[in-house]
Amino acid sequence: MQEAILNDLKMPYCPGCGHTVANKSMSKALVDMDVHPLDVIVVSDIGCTGLVDPLLTCHTIHGLHGRAVALAMGIRMGLEHPDKKIIALQGDGGATIGLQHLLEAARHNLDLTLVVQNNMVYGMTGGQTSGLSSTEFKEPDRPESAVPGYDICALAHNAGAAYTARTFIGKDTAELWKEALSTPGFSLIEIVEMCPAYGLRKVQELHDVSDYESVISKNQRPTGGPHRAEGRSLLDALKPIEHTCEAPLDGRLEIIIAGSAGEAIQSAGDLLSTAGITAGLSATKKGDYPITIGTGFSVAEVILSRPPIHYTGIDCPDIMIVISQDGLDKVRSRIGEHTLVIADTKLGPELEGLAGPPGPTDLLTRDFRKTGGLKGAALAAIAYWLQDNGFLPIEALVEAASRHKHGDKMKVIIDKAVAA
Amino acid sequence: MTTTRERMVFLDGSRLIIEAMARAGASAYIGYPITPVNWLFAGAKQRIPIALEAPDEITALQWSAGFSSAGVFPVTASAFPGFALMIESINMSFMMELPMVIILAQRLGPSTGSATTGGQGDLLLLRGCISGGYSLPVFCPSNLNDCWDMAAASVHTAVNLRTPVVLLTSKEMVMTNQNMDVSGLKDVQLAERHLHEGNGAYKTYGVNGNLAPPFLPLGNDLHQVRLNSSTHDMEGITQKNSPEALGNTERLKNKIEQSIDDYTYFDHDPDEGADTVILTYGISAEASREALGLLRANGESVSLLVMKTLLPVPPRIYEMLEAYDHIVVVEENIAGLLRELLYGNHQHDRIHGVNKIGHMITPQEIAEGVRQCRKPS
Ligand code: SF4
Ligand SMILES: [Mg+2]
Repeated sequence: MQEAILNDLKMPYCPGCGHTVANKSMSKALVDMDVHPLDVIVVSDIGCTGLVDPLLTCHTIHGLHGRAVALAMGIRMGLEHPDKKIIALQGDGGATIGLQHLLEAARHNLDLTLVVQNNMVYGMTGGQTSGLSSTEFKEPDRPESAVPGYDICALAHNAGAAYTARTFIGKDTAELWKEALSTPGFSLIEIVEMCPAYGLRKVQELHDVSDYESVISKNQRPTGGPHRAEGRSLLDALKPIEHTCEAPLDGRLEIIIAGSAGEAIQSAGDLLSTAGITAGLSATKKGDYPITIGTGFSVAEVILSRPPIHYTGIDCPDIMIVISQDGLDKVRSRIGEHTLVIADTKLGPELEGLAGPPGPTDLLTRDFRKTGGLKGAALAAIAYWLQDNGFLPIEALVEAASRHKHGDKMKVIIDKAVAA
Repeated sequence: MTTTRERMVFLDGSRLIIEAMARAGASAYIGYPITPVNWLFAGAKQRIPIALEAPDEITALQWSAGFSSAGVFPVTASAFPGFALMIESINMSFMMELPMVIILAQRLGPSTGSATTGGQGDLLLLRGCISGGYSLPVFCPSNLNDCWDMAAASVHTAVNLRTPVVLLTSKEMVMTNQNMDVSGLKDVQLAERHLHEGNGAYKTYGVNGNLAPPFLPLGNDLHQVRLNSSTHDMEGITQKNSPEALGNTERLKNKIEQSIDDYTYFDHDPDEGADTVILTYGISAEASREALGLLRANGESVSLLVMKTLLPVPPRIYEMLEAYDHIVVVEENIAGLLRELLYGNHQHDRIHGVNKIGHMITPQEIAEGVRQCRKPS
């Protein structure tokens, strides 16, 4: 016979407390099942239930109020030994605070057993009612408009628990413990108990007051567990960028590309950056877009520089490529005296009408949508601009495009833009 | 013409952080989606053997603690809103002495603030987040290279000291792409826990010499393990305030502080005879480096000190700062958190700040701040 999971220390509970009986049932069940104490991990919560720790001869972990089930889930997912028994002990208070964790454990159907010792009060803090206190349960300070307690067995069952049971203390619950502990997956036992100090004192009172009857329910579901996969190096996954041509740029060039969601603004920014690196420059890129990425503006900020780039911010860009009204609305205020604006034709009138900069020599408009289509207008504008001023050889852009999964289409757009 | 550069790629800090942590031994990532840690989560899903989506941040930390107590090294990441929810569980993990890394990517606050705007507003939160005022080791990368080095240092420090560690970063660091020759990255060693060996008696919080107790996972076949979040003795049994239990709690403070020299990281770029130093960290460091260049190019002598170990404050930092008449502290917040951390609420005239919210501080603003502080008043 295995060593008991309880040592000889005196139970720390008030006389008549249900926790004493519940813990003895746990110990009896494990001995009957011939489980060695070191094959058991008890995860205890805050509250009187958690006071059992020093009496246990198994592994123990004593955490926060309401979180025992979540902690137990982490242990189960981390342990390599599926044969170890994991038992989480909570009171009704802990189950109320951590209700989300309880449902999550049931949903995942991880192999662990949760025992909720429901005495309808927070015993340790002086007898406040919990989410599991019943409609009829009276305590001096309780308002008349009491609401029913959670039916946590039904909740856990509906969330997918393999096994749920409610029982009343007083009869031998060891059989339920054994059934729960030997059921693969998530099992929950709610034990409705006395708390002579602040709650009910007699078993019959528990029956009289409880909102719910004893119950056992089961779900046939596969036991959950985390998926494990050896990952691939995130660095090896990146294709190196070869330095294959030279850019004449000596200094630093700050570029903003602005358009709308769906116009491939971010990939245009990536492409321009990659082209810069291909031509021996340093590059940075950051994106700005609303949380709802499928609508509204999309802005890419690109810096190309001969010296290494430290500061990655752009206040007032050297070049601004604007493809749509959304984009213009977003970046209009950042156009400065020296900014060259390259815009889609339809934005021309508005840009020309801007008071102050840009002057006429700083504004170029073309029908980039015609050249590039919706998703290629920004790329067409970049190609057009590069062709026009030669900051980067166009072959760098072609090289960058060839790395892209839509590279062939991109090259056609670049050709058209250059020819235009 | 082809110039051979070993391995030039275009990447973001998130990728480097996750890859370095994986190499150092992180084998579980527990995430809860929040901007700006999106790319960390995405990278972890490809790289870390177990990558899970927790239903909330409290769960994320509880799962992390569970993994760590079973011997698996976990990483999680969030921004302030999620980090705030994690704090009680971080205290639990600190008390249980469970190694893990929490990546905190700062964004503009207070509260939900602005999710896609960077910021440096959480330093003092970290200084005070453990009840009792104990420090968690906090590392802070100042550029892509540091994303790699400080990520690895975070895992190693967490394992060596058996403690949660925070890697403090910002939206601008983890969501900006830059070119980098990754062939120059240092090798990352696997961090291995110091295990209790043999069949001799084991106390979960028993120490001999080294202030971090040797580890055994929950569920091991040889020794009972008792992890405990409440004040406990060396065995791990809850005790209200016995001398042994209070001694154990005091050890948690000493454990972190005693070996600070082993994990003090910084960049000091002193200028011969300079009376002024720019002191900064994280996302303001690169602008400060550029400001340094501007000032020096103009014949103005100035030094730069970039802190990468922020907490506990390394004594070496004060030693270096002693040499300067003017300390210009650059950080993207308006309250001056690093200034307050180092010099309190009643600051000497030699302490100056360059501060801003909502946008990165520019090199020009920093240079201007240096010039202002040197003007005779
Ligand atoms: S207060 Fe109630 S729950 Fe706590 S030990 Fe006493 S009887 Fe038991
Ligand atoms: Mg209770």
